[in-house]
Amino acid sequence: MVIRKTAEQIKEEILSHLKETPLSTEQIRIKAESNWSTINNYLEELSKEGKVKEIISADKAKIYQRVFGDTYFDLPITDNERKKFRALFSLIIKKYKEANKTPNKTQLAKTAVKVINSPESGLSDLPTVWYLYGAIPLMIADPSQDYQEEWAFEHKQKINSIIEIFMKENHNKKTKQIQKEQHLEYNDKLYQLADNFLELTEEHPWNKDKIFEILNEFCIVCPIDEEFKEVFWLTERFVSTVRKLSYFDDLENHRTKILLTFDSIWKFIATYKFYQTISVNKRFSNKNLLNLYLGNPLAFRKTCAKEALSDLYSVYLSKIDDREIEASPEVQRIREIMQDWTGED
Amino acid sequence: MEKDSFLDSNIIINYANYQKDKSKDIVNKCYLYIFNKQGKFIVCYAVIRELFNIITKLTIIHREVLKKVENNSYNLDKNGLLAKKDLPIAEKLYLANREVNDKKLKELFASERDIFEIEIEKFLKNKVDIKVIPVEEIKAELTSAIREIIENYADCQILASALQYQKDREIFLFVTADRKDLAPNQYDYLKKYFEINYPKENHVFPELYNIMHVI
Repeated sequence: MVIRKTAEQIKEEILSHLKETPLSTEQIRIKAESNWSTINNYLEELSKEGKVKEIISADKAKIYQRVFGDTYFDLPITDNERKKFRALFSLIIKKYKEANKTPNKTQLAKTAVKVINSPESGLSDLPTVWYLYGAIPLMIADPSQDYQEEWAFEHKQKINSIIEIFMKENHNKKTKQIQKEQHLEYNDKLYQLADNFLELTEEHPWNKDKIFEILNEFCIVCPIDEEFKEVFWLTERFVSTVRKLSYFDDLENHRTKILLTFDSIWKFIATYKFYQTISVNKRFSNKNLLNLYLGNPLAFRKTCAKEALSDLYSVYLSKIDDREIEASPEVQRIREIMQDWTGED
Repeated sequence: MEKDSFLDSNIIINYANYQKDKSKDIVNKCYLYIFNKQGKFIVCYAVIRELFNIITKLTIIHREVLKKVENNSYNLDKNGLLAKKDLPIAEKLYLANREVNDKKLKELFASERDIFEIEIEKFLKNKVDIKVIPVEEIKAELTSAIREIIENYADCQILASALQYQKDREIFLFVTADRKDLAPNQYDYLKKYFEINYPKENHVFPELYNIMHVI
């Protein structure tokens, strides 16, 4: 007798097939040994329930990704990793509560990273990534969640002591300060420069020389990657547009636009850094698989950054006039050397 | 009536590099050509794209030189960021500035780029009359045909744009300072090659005005 699977059973099966990798309707159909239209209907139901999402839709091939909702970009993690993360977050929140405090998102994330990166915790296998505000756990740290100790850590005492030390060292610090110190601790120049730039733009009046010094350095530290040429290109164009605008107008008149453009470019750079961390850690054997998860966010952020830059550039273009730009004698000497170069291949 | 000028990227680069009483002959000639403007100036989008590629290339040259100034053992040739053709200028820049404080040099290089770029952008904004042939409208088969003679792809796209724009128009000048591929004899050869190999297409070539060969 053939036992027919219930709708819920089929849906569970689909979700289980999508646990580690996005799949097309056809691939799921083969794995589930069912027919295409049944699988397609259930995928549409799961999509409406918010449990899966369509990430690529060509004419004939739909690719579905499982929505976990608890990791950045819904990147898959194993059940054990999930349990360990929850247990770690639970320990951290508990320690804060013992001190009559509730950690905010940054405190929870940064404490977790500190624990994971301390060899004595024995948790170095838990994935961390670099993103908008520095290093964070791949699983989203959410202080409002009721995390439980779902995993018995071998070095629980050591973990607790790392948490206590971190809390002690940071108890009076603001979120930004904690982030800044983490960037220094891991010696990530790009994040440090982004911090410095934003800090300088909070001053009034703007110290143009200092801002330019940071931006010049930013251009040097910014990665040049053949696969992601726009990371450097957008950075370089942003720095040069801000610099050039300063010859024709007071930069502070364009504070909002400059900051919005930087923010857009930074989001793209940070998503790229996220991609790089995951690639370097070889979490995915196949780069195409990683592209399925991060391809769309990267493309979206690149487009936003380009639009913001184009906006800033048109402001600059509208300010250009016929005035002569004076070059210092030292710059003139460099320009004399450059006469021999037309840049053509 | 003076003929219009379809400008190659090297003319604009040389113009942007001009410094009064300090420039070499070809830079002076390009500057004067633009300064004493006659007819309309036409620039195609392939040239504009090329100009911005050159600007990015310059930033990378500066960046690599700065890395060598910071660390003498840094090999300019190491990571393949610089094209072979750009190595001599990078080395020249390094030798001339290796004693300069690196923080100061970063600012000097950035200022040099500022002026270079502003001159280009001022030119595009104030001196160009017509911008033509969006890059996506360049005919691939025409570019390929030119590439049978001229190796550089960017040059082929620029020349293809010029040929497309020339069609059904009064002859204009194709103004360049190219010393190799667009030297007068090479250009004549290209014209002959098209006459023999692509007679049906009936391409009309603009008149070459190579500033390198103007006395």
